[in-house]
Amino acid sequence: MPDIHVVDDIELIIEDIGGGGGNPPPLTGDGGSGDGDPNKRRKPTPTSPRRYQTAVVLAMLSIVMFFMALAVTFLVRKTSSDWVPVHLPFMVWVNTIVLLASSGTMELARRKERAGDLKGFRTLWQVTTGLGVLFLVGQVIAWRQLVEQGFYVSTNPASSFFYIFTAAHGVHLLGGVGALCYVLLRNFKKTRLTQSVAAEVTSHYWHFMDGLWLFLLALLYLGK
Amino acid sequence: MYSIDGCMVDHQSGAPEGRKPTSPRGILFQTDHKAIGLQYLWLALFSVFLGMMMSLVMRIHLVWPGAHLPMLPSFGDSPERYAALTLLHGSLMVLMVLTAAPQAGFGNYLLPIQIGAGDMAFPTLNLLAFWTTAVSLVGVTTAFFLAPQTGVTLWIAGVALFCVAALANALNLSVTTIDLRTKGMTLPRLPITVWAWFINAILSLLIFSILLAASVYLLADRVLGTHFFSLPAMLSTASPNSQAVALPALWQRLFWFFAQAQVYVAILPCFGIVTHLISTFSRKPVWAQRAVVLALCAVGLVGFCIWGQHTFASGLNPYSPLVFGLLASSLGLPASILLMSWFGTLWNGKVQLTTAMLFALGFVSLFLAGGLSGLFLARNDLTATAASDDFITGHFHLVMGIAATFAMLGALFFWFPKMFGRSLDERLGKIHFWITFVGVYCVFMPMHWLGLIAHLHLSPEATLTFATAAAWPIRSFVTSATLVTITAQGIFLVNFVTSLFKRSEAMEKNPWRATTLEWSLPSPPPLGNFAGRPPVVYRDAYEFGSEADFALQSRPTDSTPPAMPGGTEPGLQRLPPHAAGTT
Repeated sequence: MPDIHVVDDIELIIEDIGGGGGNPPPLTGDGGSGDGDPNKRRKPTPTSPRRYQTAVVLAMLSIVMFFMALAVTFLVRKTSSDWVPVHLPFMVWVNTIVLLASSGTMELARRKERAGDLKGFRTLWQVTTGLGVLFLVGQVIAWRQLVEQGFYVSTNPASSFFYIFTAAHGVHLLGGVGALCYVLLRNFKKTRLTQSVAAEVTSHYWHFMDGLWLFLLALLYLGK
Repeated sequence: MYSIDGCMVDHQSGAPEGRKPTSPRGILFQTDHKAIGLQYLWLALFSVFLGMMMSLVMRIHLVWPGAHLPMLPSFGDSPERYAALTLLHGSLMVLMVLTAAPQAGFGNYLLPIQIGAGDMAFPTLNLLAFWTTAVSLVGVTTAFFLAPQTGVTLWIAGVALFCVAALANALNLSVTTIDLRTKGMTLPRLPITVWAWFINAILSLLIFSILLAASVYLLADRVLGTHFFSLPAMLSTASPNSQAVALPALWQRLFWFFAQAQVYVAILPCFGIVTHLISTFSRKPVWAQRAVVLALCAVGLVGFCIWGQHTFASGLNPYSPLVFGLLASSLGLPASILLMSWFGTLWNGKVQLTTAMLFALGFVSLFLAGGLSGLFLARNDLTATAASDDFITGHFHLVMGIAATFAMLGALFFWFPKMFGRSLDERLGKIHFWITFVGVYCVFMPMHWLGLIAHLHLSPEATLTFATAAAWPIRSFVTSATLVTITAQGIFLVNFVTSLFKRSEAMEKNPWRATTLEWSLPSPPPLGNFAGRPPVVYRDAYEFGSEADFALQSRPTDSTPPAMPGGTEPGLQRLPPHAAGTT
């Protein structure tokens, strides 16, 4: 291995051997090229997609556990005698369509990015971010609709669960919106991350949030 | 037996000075994993002494209820105060000491170095996690001084914050282990410590989110007026039998789903540390290393599944105690594998009874003693009589609290030279060990006995008088033993502080002649650890007893040509510092 003096390159080297961590030390010098990560091979720039991808996968695992605990409590609690079903506000269905659409535009954006059309990517990514914000605004409107029906957070357990589920999902989605903005605004010349990797990792999280919302909606709708 | 002290004397100066920030802001907000690891350890040290003082106050009040203690009357002496003491003692010890120190403290400091990485995968996240923990500690501690109702709300918020911090830390540790291992650091070559931290991080990722969810519900109940864990007043009086009883069980299920696994979160890294110390000081490889790794995985997996054993008393499907009881008892299997491995490693080893090794052996003894009483508690029928009493207090303090504390102390004695470039005093350390070792047995063994005599099947009145009469001398003995044991911790504190401030010895890099990568670095290791030249790993983690007594992991094997000219045989003893360590 040659002497390396630039910090960024050192990090690249660490990434590379980190990637090959599962292999025994090779006798020849071709350390990190053994792992089959297409991103790395396609773009030999100082990227380290693996740690971000791993982190998002593990974070999802943890978030699943969090929402499972919320959901299990819902299922147990709804068998008790004080349960009064709540009709979901109409706005929730509009929001669902908005969120699904945002996943669609996000995939379109990434397709543009892969094709090298950076301008198209930015436009579609902005649309995605806008749809994400729209969803959150829509959830607040849904809350207001529920309040107009007279259902506050403490009115009965069913309404409490609705508010807690939407709020917990909203907070997690807000993190996703933050990541979307990061991909748009960050100057990737200064970071180890490339825009394409950041977009990919963000998209995993975003689709996951999308699926999570469908799950929560099904729970609230079918479980009422 | 070797004289370790002989190795400590000046051999080569390790030139420990990296670029160190000097401004207070720079020191407090470093993203270096070693700085953060030490901050976690300071936090745990503060909490452990605070928690110990609280246990002392509780013991004194149990035996001499009328005793006047300085300062305390100003907080009032209502029963709520005593309950608050118990709550705070427990939360400080379990969260800020048993969870923060072995995993976040030692894990943060050592895991990146042991896998040959420059830092954690996400240094800023690491920093945020630490400061969230610190804020949580302030919240939990302040809760004690507030009116009970406000205090409990603040306490829950503090615990929720701790969950967030623990999740961030666990994410960081697991990603670091998965993606930042240096070249040649294959999974079979990972030190057992790293395995333990890694498995523990994954387990933490799964269970702290459960507690977070439960805390969110509980906070909503207290702050927003929701009824997740209780029925509205008018309804619960209407049907008192079915629902009013069932709802606390809902909270208990969520809580114990977390808390039973939390026991293993506290103890898993200690298994790793103890295995590591026993191998190093027996000068032998870990016996049945793969079985040990599998046993650690099994502890994590089974520990995740046996939460139900805490709800035996709260009403379960009649068949589920059978499942939980069987699963809980089956934890004895991986535990036995670990014990066999420790004894197998010790067998015919050149055992060096350093203070670190004494604490590791103390851990084995406490774990065995406390673990045996756990077998009684895994049984549904016996638990019903012995639960939530002195028996269980004695059991979990021995097996979880004290055993883990011994592992931490062992780790501190072992890695102190690496962390600070000075060594702790071995003589004081041994005195401290023996008093503490005898002391904790005197404190917690009689508690088992107390728990048993409280449940003798006599008539209710006879039980009461007999139990009180028989229990009194035992209780006062326990309190006296507590006083002695806690006073003995002063020896440790003196040792720690004087060693920290004594003139810097020129430490050898590797005073214990250990094999893992951190010993190839100067003490304390510089910023960035390997100065941009990550080591290459050629060997298993515990290659002792070879021709040169031991071989660092980064030392090339005979069949491997050295990866870089000039870097030959870095693992051999007493080589100049520039040769040791990297390739």
